[in-house]
Order: sequence, then C-alpha cells, then structure tokens
Amino acid sequence: MDKTKILVVDDNFTIRKGLSIRLRANGYEVVLAEDAISATAALIAERPDLVLLDLGLPAGDGFVVMDRLHKNDRLSHIPVIVLTGRELAGNRDRALNAGAAAFFQKPVEDGTLLFAIKKALDVSRGELRFDE
Amino acid sequence: MTKPTQRIADLPAYLSHELRNALACIHQFGNILVDGLAGKLTGEQREYVSIILENASKIRSVLDTALDGVAPAASKIRTKI
Repeated sequence: MDKTKILVVDDNFTIRKGLSIRLRANGYEVVLAEDAISATAALIAERPDLVLLDLGLPAGDGFVVMDRLHKNDRLSHIPVIVLTGRELAGNRDRALNAGAAAFFQKPVEDGTLLFAIKKALDVSRGELRFDE
Repeated sequence: MTKPTQRIADLPAYLSHELRNALACIHQFGNILVDGLAGKLTGEQREYVSIILENASKIRSVLDTALDGVAPAASKIRTKI
C-alpha cells in the first residue's frame, strides 16, 4: 500500500527539513516546495494527499497556491493545512474562508499538527465529517 | 501614510514572521532530539534540551500575548491614515 504523501511548502529550509523528519518518522511520504511556483508544480506532478502550506512565500503567497489548487478540479479535493509565522489578524479567517482545513501559527506542537493532519485526511477520504 | 507610521504598522507582522519561524526551528529540532529521532540522548542531554524547549515555550507565550494584542491596533493605524 502506498504511503500517504504530504507536500510541505515553506520558504525556510530549516523548517522544511524539521517537518520532513517529523512526518517521515510518522510514516508519511514527504515532498517539498519552497515557493508558490514550485508548490503548484509539485501539486500537479506529485498529487499529494495533503498540503502543509506556509503563507509567506516567494513568487506568490500561500493564498495564491490555495486559489490555484481550488480552481483545478483534479486538485481541489486535496486538504490544506496552513502553518504560518504570520499574525492571526487578517490571516486565520482569510485562510479558513479560502478553504483551509486548519490554521496554525508557528510554532505548533507536533502532536497537535499530526492530529490535525490525520483528521483532515480522514475527512477528505470520507471517513469523518468536519464537525466530528 | 508616512513612512515611519508605515514601519510602525508593519512591525507586528515583521516580528511575528521572523520570531515565529525562528521559534518553530527551535521547537522542531529540540523535539526531534528529545524524541530520539536523531539518536538516543543521555539523561543529561535530554534534560538540557528540555530546558531549551521550556524556555522557547515561554517566549512563544510572550509572543502570543504581545503580538495578538498589538496586531489589531496596528490595523487601526493603517485604516485611519
């Protein structure tokens, strides 16, 4: 059985590396992107099961990536969890209204993030409703 | 908006981004060490990394309180001018 694939999008190399180690240790396959353009390319080429998305990115921010994802019928089902250093005001509501499954400010506890990932995957696979 | 006022208004966003990313790195790699993902630590090593993590959490609490309080005020400055 194929591993669940997560696309990690963050312009900070160290954060990409740390998330990658944590996610792989929990059995996920990880692909990485560092800006909005490479994130869009990876979405199309890799078809991840979930996206961990930073908002502050070069070449277009995380909202641009979410917009591209949701406008593509073959990608729009992929859940997005926003993990950002940006302030809450103006970003949390905008991200959730744009379709993000969850919004976290950095730093987030590993257990909290892993739980949100599992829940978002369960919802996208139809095994759980959002309000459960 | 004048440039100094713009800089004041942008300060919370700048601080949030820079400090939260740095804290996230400390948290991620501290927990990677504590959880043994980079090899088993001695008791003493584990204790020291835990001290780093505890203090990173304190900084995070200060940031949450300070920046989430500051950001809405800065937004008001932006809209008034």
